[in-house]
Amino acid sequence: MPEAKIGTPAEELDAERRFALEQQRVKRAITIATPFISVVIAMLVGSLVILISGHSPAEAYSAMIGGAFGGWRQIGETLLRATPLIFTGLAVSYGFRAGLFNIGAEGQLFLGGLAAAFVGLQVGGLPPLVSLPIIIFAAFLAGAAWAFIPALMKAKIGAHEVITTMMFSYIGKYLVSYIINGPLRAEGNIPQTTELPIASQLPRISDLLPFVGQNRAHIGIVLGIIAALIVWWVLKYTVMGYEARAVGFNPAAAETAGISVASTTIKSLCISGGLAGLAGAVEVMGVHYRLFDQFSSGFGFTGIAVALLAKNNPFGVILAAILFGSLSAGAGTMQLEAGVSQKVITIIQGTIIFLVGAEMIVTWAVARVRGRKGV
Amino acid sequence: MFAEIVTPELFASAVRLATPIALAAVGASICERSGVTNIAMEGLMLVSAFAGVAVTLLVGNVWVGVFAAIVASVVFASLHAWSSINLRSDQIISATAVNILALGITGFLMETIFGHPGTTDPVKTIPPMYSVPADAGPVWTWIGTVFFSYTPIVYLGMFLAVFLTWALYRTRWGLRLRALGEHPRAADTVGVNVLRGRWYAVLISGAMSGLAGANLTLEQVGSFTENMTNGRGFIALAANIFGRWTPGGAYLASLLFGFADALQLKLQLFSDTINIPSQFFLMLPYVLTVVVLAGVVGKAVAPAAIGKPYKEKG
Repeated sequence: MPEAKIGTPAEELDAERRFALEQQRVKRAITIATPFISVVIAMLVGSLVILISGHSPAEAYSAMIGGAFGGWRQIGETLLRATPLIFTGLAVSYGFRAGLFNIGAEGQLFLGGLAAAFVGLQVGGLPPLVSLPIIIFAAFLAGAAWAFIPALMKAKIGAHEVITTMMFSYIGKYLVSYIINGPLRAEGNIPQTTELPIASQLPRISDLLPFVGQNRAHIGIVLGIIAALIVWWVLKYTVMGYEARAVGFNPAAAETAGISVASTTIKSLCISGGLAGLAGAVEVMGVHYRLFDQFSSGFGFTGIAVALLAKNNPFGVILAAILFGSLSAGAGTMQLEAGVSQKVITIIQGTIIFLVGAEMIVTWAVARVRGRKGV
Repeated sequence: MFAEIVTPELFASAVRLATPIALAAVGASICERSGVTNIAMEGLMLVSAFAGVAVTLLVGNVWVGVFAAIVASVVFASLHAWSSINLRSDQIISATAVNILALGITGFLMETIFGHPGTTDPVKTIPPMYSVPADAGPVWTWIGTVFFSYTPIVYLGMFLAVFLTWALYRTRWGLRLRALGEHPRAADTVGVNVLRGRWYAVLISGAMSGLAGANLTLEQVGSFTENMTNGRGFIALAANIFGRWTPGGAYLASLLFGFADALQLKLQLFSDTINIPSQFFLMLPYVLTVVVLAGVVGKAVAPAAIGKPYKEKG
């Protein structure tokens, strides 16, 4: 807090303004530094947890790094897990940009996966250059459709999207469970769909670039990067993106300026849902080639951490997705080699969200270091 | 079939299933009336459900387990309070962090303590305070089952709903609390400590979610399974809105969700005759939440200052 000095109102205003400008400058620097500092602190918290559980953090983390980057196979696994996270991260961050918290990306992902599995089975006879875009488009639509009712409820009556998208998440999971147990169930004991025809599968990177050896990474990662570029372009250069940002920044001002907050809200949440749907599509088309109950390991929720860590920047999303992808790829190795439960990465993830959300912690720490009187 | 479905047990099961939602929802009404949203209840219930089981197994006394559940939840609630009240971070994000931390920590401790993921060893659940004798007449079977067959925390929940309604509307504390959520600046001006008042509200909500978690594992299920809360914390938030941010209303709204859950469980038993896949029954509580929100939001008015961090003038 600034020391309150007695002065004329004009002087006080001026001092306040200068203080505000200075604060803004510091704030911008902190905004850039926060994600990095948060990751470091979260890893430290993680090592504390590992230590308390009676294991060696150094051993655990080196196993984790080995499991994530130790060779082409490991790097492939990191990229494989980063791929859906790019899409869910973009989904959540697009929502955030428009002032919406799409906490239900997981459900939209399930619907996207469902559409990919269903359409993928129908278009197997077409050449891949035709079938793949059709499937991807269908998954986008399915994810968008699943966000539509929450979007409508938010826009028309103000029902909080956190509750509605979350509820739709559960409804979507049960719907998928019904479909793989009923209409789309393949022969056999396991409730799942039949395998997608080759034309509906995303090729592996190792098929195109043989020098990377055997690994499971697929071209979904390239699609993710393209999606990030498109989202960046939409937000920066299109009217729709401008409107979304304006509504996210100040809905009242946007409305006054002639932007329809209701229709922007609907559009933005549906686009967010569509992007999450794509995450489901890449998992079905690139990893499992079929749909089953557990085809997503919480990518929708990790997408929240990705978006927050990336500060909603589409390129930041790619980096954050790769970070979380590497944590997830390395966690298995860590559990095998160091005996540490891989759930520790969820703790790290939660800590990162906590720290990025509470920017004040970093602000406060920086202020202490700079020797300023509180910011 | 109607007589087989509509039994005293159906209503008793509705009350039982409503209880964790209701406890959290009543806590939410206090918390939100102070101007702090709390979507962390999902995580708070999860840590308390786990702490309850783990401590009961460790100590051998279920009441120590209940106490541990409340403490665990309050500790996590204070993270949310610190972040959203003192650090003025986005309340939704700070609560999301708590939810994910809760998921991670319970999963981690589960594997570290019990050596495997999934479900813990069972504990002996707290018995109901009264059971209707098998030879009771139909009238007493109905009355006894519907009103007297519950475990202690269920009754505690009913009491707290009434007590907190009284406290919110008939005490100085309640008046101040409501002022914090409507116009914190005005409350501050007349000498109410906004930050402290909000802290207490979040901690009360934490304690209530702790009771909810304890009820879930120590009175109902008898063991902990990862992510077993299954959205109940979010449903509780919807119940709080449906109950128009009043403890009593939140409790009654929760009964509706409990009834939906009890009914779907019952109907699943008749899936041969009804011939609807079980997944559609399982969806019912979530669909109901959406429908209820669609019907009620816009008509119910949220506390004016909800979700807005308060900065004291220094």
